[in-house]
Amino acid sequence: MDTFAILQVTWWLLLGVLLIGLAVMVGMDMGVGTILRYVGRSDVERRVALNIIGPHWDGNQVWFILGGGAIFAAFPLIYATAFSGFYVVMLLLLWTMILRPIGFEYRSRIEHPAWRNAWDWVLLVSGAVPMIVLGAAFGNLFRGVPFHFDWDMTSYYTGSFLGLLNPFALMTGVLSLSLSVMMGSLTIMNGAEGPMYQRARGLVQVAAAAALVLFALGGIWVHALAGYQLVGSPGEGVPQTPLQQTVTLAPGAWLHNFSVDPLLWLVPLVGFAGVIGAALAARAGRSHLGWWSGALGWVGVIGTAGSALFPFMLPSSADPSMSLTLWNSSSSTLTLLWMIGFTAVFVPLILWYTSWAFWVMRGKVTPESLAGDEHAY
Amino acid sequence: MRSFLYFVLFLVIALLVTVLTAILGDEGAWYFAWLVGTTMIVLVSAAGGAMLDANEEQAAQSPPPAEPRRSGAGGAE
Amino acid sequence: MINGTVVDLSRVQFAATALYHFLFVPLTLGLSFLLAAIETVYVTTGKPIYKRMAMFWSRLFMINFALGVATGLTMEFQFGTNWSFYSSFVGDIFGAPLAIEGLMAFFMESTFVGLMVFGWDRLRKGQHLAVTWLVALGSNLSALWILVANGFMQDPRGAKFDPVTMRMHLTSFQQLIFSPDAQSKFVHTSIAGYVTGAMFVAGISAFYMLRNRHMDIAKRSFRIAVLFGVLATVGVVTLGDALGFVDAKAQPTKLAAMEGLWNSRPAPMAFNLIAFPEQAEQKDVGAVRVPMVLSLLVTHSLSGTVPGIDTLEQQAVQKIQNGIPAVEALKVLAHDPQDAAALAQFNAHRADLGYGFLVQRYAPHLSEVTPAQIERAAKDTIPPVAAVFWSFRFMVGLGLLMMAFFVLATLYSLRNRIQKKRWFLKVAVWMIPVPFLANEAGWLVAELGRQPWTVYGVLPTWMSASTHSVGYMVFSLIGFVTLYSIFIAIEMYLMIRAIRLGPSEPGGDGAAGTWPPPTLAPRPVPAVPYGGNVEG
Repeated sequence: MDTFAILQVTWWLLLGVLLIGLAVMVGMDMGVGTILRYVGRSDVERRVALNIIGPHWDGNQVWFILGGGAIFAAFPLIYATAFSGFYVVMLLLLWTMILRPIGFEYRSRIEHPAWRNAWDWVLLVSGAVPMIVLGAAFGNLFRGVPFHFDWDMTSYYTGSFLGLLNPFALMTGVLSLSLSVMMGSLTIMNGAEGPMYQRARGLVQVAAAAALVLFALGGIWVHALAGYQLVGSPGEGVPQTPLQQTVTLAPGAWLHNFSVDPLLWLVPLVGFAGVIGAALAARAGRSHLGWWSGALGWVGVIGTAGSALFPFMLPSSADPSMSLTLWNSSSSTLTLLWMIGFTAVFVPLILWYTSWAFWVMRGKVTPESLAGDEHAY
Repeated sequence: MRSFLYFVLFLVIALLVTVLTAILGDEGAWYFAWLVGTTMIVLVSAAGGAMLDANEEQAAQSPPPAEPRRSGAGGAE
Repeated sequence: MINGTVVDLSRVQFAATALYHFLFVPLTLGLSFLLAAIETVYVTTGKPIYKRMAMFWSRLFMINFALGVATGLTMEFQFGTNWSFYSSFVGDIFGAPLAIEGLMAFFMESTFVGLMVFGWDRLRKGQHLAVTWLVALGSNLSALWILVANGFMQDPRGAKFDPVTMRMHLTSFQQLIFSPDAQSKFVHTSIAGYVTGAMFVAGISAFYMLRNRHMDIAKRSFRIAVLFGVLATVGVVTLGDALGFVDAKAQPTKLAAMEGLWNSRPAPMAFNLIAFPEQAEQKDVGAVRVPMVLSLLVTHSLSGTVPGIDTLEQQAVQKIQNGIPAVEALKVLAHDPQDAAALAQFNAHRADLGYGFLVQRYAPHLSEVTPAQIERAAKDTIPPVAAVFWSFRFMVGLGLLMMAFFVLATLYSLRNRIQKKRWFLKVAVWMIPVPFLANEAGWLVAELGRQPWTVYGVLPTWMSASTHSVGYMVFSLIGFVTLYSIFIAIEMYLMIRAIRLGPSEPGGDGAAGTWPPPTLAPRPVPAVPYGGNVEG
């Protein structure tokens, strides 16, 4: 492989890392939003839940923004084609996502119960909908997305909004929702005491069970789906457009990578082990261990999707040969190189100061600690 | 009237500074200028706040002067 | 083919969401450094009043910040959702600063803002001060990378078109980030944010002084804000001039529109103080001119000239004619990247590829292009003159007004007479919207003045939009307008409410004491609620 191909694969992996960061960090906050009305039965309890993630949701949300920015910089064609193709879904995602910062910041500023109740519903919607949309987007990659290109690479999307809500995509959407609920519950366990802790502990079991079933179901279902296979292309690491390759469809082809390299089966195994570990640790009352195990579960689930799709990033169902792969949609050598430099410096820095922020704010949030705190949400 | 004259004087100074920096900065190293400028703006304004405190403490220690117009004491009426 | 209505609706949506986002961003840029200034005084002098000040202003900061973050999400994704051709065409260059913005700046800002709000009791004084400084630095670095990206749209440097992948490639990262447009625009915008923050703090402090509430906090905040503001206005005008100087070289059409310069004239050129540009007739209806000033302003010499619109249109005709063969060669290369003749033809004409794209709007089949179509495309290269001309004058006028305000405010504040100048305090309250209006006008000058290009001279706006249906665009536009209207109503309500409530007072002076801070020692100085002023 030459430099360009190595850079492309590196960026494909880095994108995976960023997506996992997004799923773990944003997913946990979204999970807290989703279960807010369940684990918090009174206003004080809900405020406890919000203040557990209060100091961190803002920083965590940047994983989402960074994910968008990184796709833009490293795979501009994917960013352009996917975001415009998924237009209505993207709007749904955006509109629910932009409610979140406002919900966190404004909810507790007025004491009126109707005001707070309304924002609690907003937080529920803005927690659950984005996770379903993100999961469904992944599911649609396995189904292919109806788009094609003009000679000058203008992209046209020929599907409908409802086409994106097919059963397989809905299943992956619920899978991602259940993982986020699991992580949100573990986060509540980490930061709350008493009845809230107990409710969250119960939820971890339910969400983990749902995730395990759906993940296994996805593995079986994918056998029946038509998978994409790259049969002819200008080559790896060769500058090209998506107009110069040949792609065929075959049932079960998404498992092709696993049969070529059986070691890849370890990845879904990590997914199962992580989720099971999270449930067991929660039951044993070791919620911090459970959180890390749940994060490992996310690594396994997203890693499985990536291993199956490689080298495809956005398969086209309208014209499979125009599918986007990491070979035909990446940025140039120079951009990828510079971006790796920045990533290598700043991602460790981000991890370092994020950990510091969590360390500073460590410990349990209690109703008493909120009463005397004028900064609390 | 006095205030007005001061106002005009300071306004002229501000405009003069602007013109001078504009001439100096045809192809300026603006990123560097931003660093220096921002630090300066923050520190000068912080010093202004601290100065107000110093004035008030001084005024609190000595009785207010006879002519409040000329005093440096904060808010003595 | 691309639908003109969709392009127009996409532009309306982008402008609406960007202008809206830009209501909140400048305040964040400025207020964050004002918080840093206030907290610096707190840490160096140890006086608890500055802690209460910092806490109060940070409460208002957060109300504004939430909306800045929320609407920023839209901006990050809108390039992909609505400008997909643009995104794939220049993503190689434009995407990098956006990603670096996340990595270097936005992460820092957002992580530390949580600690800034929640960390008062958990961090040592010095640590908390460092956190506040990092929030300010982070938000301004964020602006830096966004404006590096914008600088590329204004003056594309460090990139060239690659006929193999059919999109632009980065050729020099250094040229991208040190582009003169990016440099001067970043500093201009960041400091415009400082002016906004200063006016906000000064105006609200004046509001309290008028009502004799929170005098100790109001006087100090006012002092810090006006010093901050007076220095910042000098900076903002200086950098505005630098930006004009840079644009005169990089974007002659924008400059001509800003100045209503229909005809080229010999040096030294007069400056249109007031004029009424007529786009259709290509002339100014009535103008008040100041001799020689234009040459001085934009070239910093009496002998310098800038081309008028008549000259620029003639140049555009030549560029369009030169660009047409480049587009035609590109069509061949799209199907066969190895075609040597097409590659040679492309390389000979590549400099004006964008102008070839421009005329494609009127002549989809370039082999049949008519002189009338070329003429029409050349007329398109001139942005809407009256709008740019007046936005520019509006911005500059407000900028100079603010400079005068801050000079006088500094004078009064330094002589400790501000609380007696009730007329001036009233003016100060009314000045609060002024910087926001100036910011919006500045955005219009920069982005409207760049039309008809998304990337100046390289990619026309009409090609850049996604190929959505009109129905989708109407749907999303209605959605954004509805959501954003609700947001601004809530934001204004909470902001005004928080201002009316005021800072927490240990003695219960003025404000409703909804948050008695138990951690603060009672202040030794008694506070009298109304009437006699016993400061000091």
